[in-house]
Amino acid sequence: MPGLFRIDGLKLAPETRLILALAGSVAALVARDFAALAVLIAASMVYLLLQLRVRTALWAYFFLSLLALSGLAGVWLMGFIFEAMRGDTFSLALLPFGRLGLTLNLVLPLALQTSLTGLAGTLNRLKLPGLLKLPLIVTLRFIPTFLSDFKQLREAVTLRFRGRGGLRFWLVRPVVWWRVIFLPLVVRLIRSADELAVASELKGLSAETDFGRAELTWSASDRGVMLAAVLTLVTAALLEAGHVAA
Amino acid sequence: MWFGGLALNTKVQAGAAATPQSFNWRNALWTGRGLFETRDLVTIGLFAGAAKAATLVVALMGGGMNPVTMVLKSALFSALWVVLLVKVPKTGTLTLANTVGALLAFFLMGQTMITLPSLMAATLLVEVGIRSLGGYQGRPWLAALAVGLSELASRVIHIAYTYLWIREQPALLAMVAVISLLSYFGICLGLFGGLRMVRELRHAGLIQN
Repeated sequence: MPGLFRIDGLKLAPETRLILALAGSVAALVARDFAALAVLIAASMVYLLLQLRVRTALWAYFFLSLLALSGLAGVWLMGFIFEAMRGDTFSLALLPFGRLGLTLNLVLPLALQTSLTGLAGTLNRLKLPGLLKLPLIVTLRFIPTFLSDFKQLREAVTLRFRGRGGLRFWLVRPVVWWRVIFLPLVVRLIRSADELAVASELKGLSAETDFGRAELTWSASDRGVMLAAVLTLVTAALLEAGHVAA
Repeated sequence: MWFGGLALNTKVQAGAAATPQSFNWRNALWTGRGLFETRDLVTIGLFAGAAKAATLVVALMGGGMNPVTMVLKSALFSALWVVLLVKVPKTGTLTLANTVGALLAFFLMGQTMITLPSLMAATLLVEVGIRSLGGYQGRPWLAALAVGLSELASRVIHIAYTYLWIREQPALLAMVAVISLLSYFGICLGLFGGLRMVRELRHAGLIQN
């Protein structure tokens, strides 16, 4: 997905996006007051639009809601929602969706951010245990290789089954799918795991290796965004406290 | 004791004083020394990446999250995890792999990290249980059991977490439960697929133990 969209506009340190995404998911969980949630959503929307173009944001929203809704058997879902809404106020019914919107707004810039290489740099700065860092960096480097392996296998199957490699083929014949795609893929995976393990041991890599530390560039915009985020959170907390007291 | 045994995942050299007291847990948890070798960490990383990429590919090919793709991607996921546990049969492998997977989902897809600590605890508990049964070594069905149990725990945690989200509309929870059940059905299918695959891979000499 990161390749589909581009991030323009405000440049922020990955750490800022990370902290905001975490704070957002906690706030979404805690918030019970509609006004508090509305303040948070409005602020997160501004944050999102500072970084993404409107069109990109709309596409991302469309793509994600399609992913979410396609599985939910729309009619069934609607039945649930309307049934639930009948006995309640409209704003109460909107709360779960509001929470989803809030986390989405804060998480999109993180998910669509910079390259995988940039992400590896962030991981180095985060001072994660080596036990986690080494597998994570290997994973990030390996995903493109795995996807190209998959593409090659799929092309081979398309040739072999005379063009029957389309969507219907996959859905109707899961067993064939398993045998001609998945098993070879796992074989390749195990081979690459063995090769990479030997290569990394020969290079002297281990969980204790320092992968180099990229400098953190904490700019004025980062500070500004963080300040705004703190102010928003305080406002929301006050509203929430008022709600609890009432 | 089991935690003494956990530290002895690595081969103890003859004559070396490797008592549980001399084992530096802080260092081990930070660097993995004494718990995992580099090759294990690399393998875990590759499998976590492959699981993430495979589920992503299936989700995109199936056009979103319809029931068929949901079952399929859960099956792929659990089969990969069984193969991983047979290839790296150490206590802690599943916990580490699940943690790496969750961190990856957080960085790449923005999934939540709030459930991560409880998920780690549940997986570790399952692994300690397996350890007390004698460990994964040479017993793929125990690996399958561990994956099945830890995924069950992760679904229960996920449903509890979702309840916090939609506590104003508990009726929505039924749907979350149905989706979780469906994907768990996929996980169970994948366990059998994984065991079968382990047999074939052993036959081909790609996994030795």
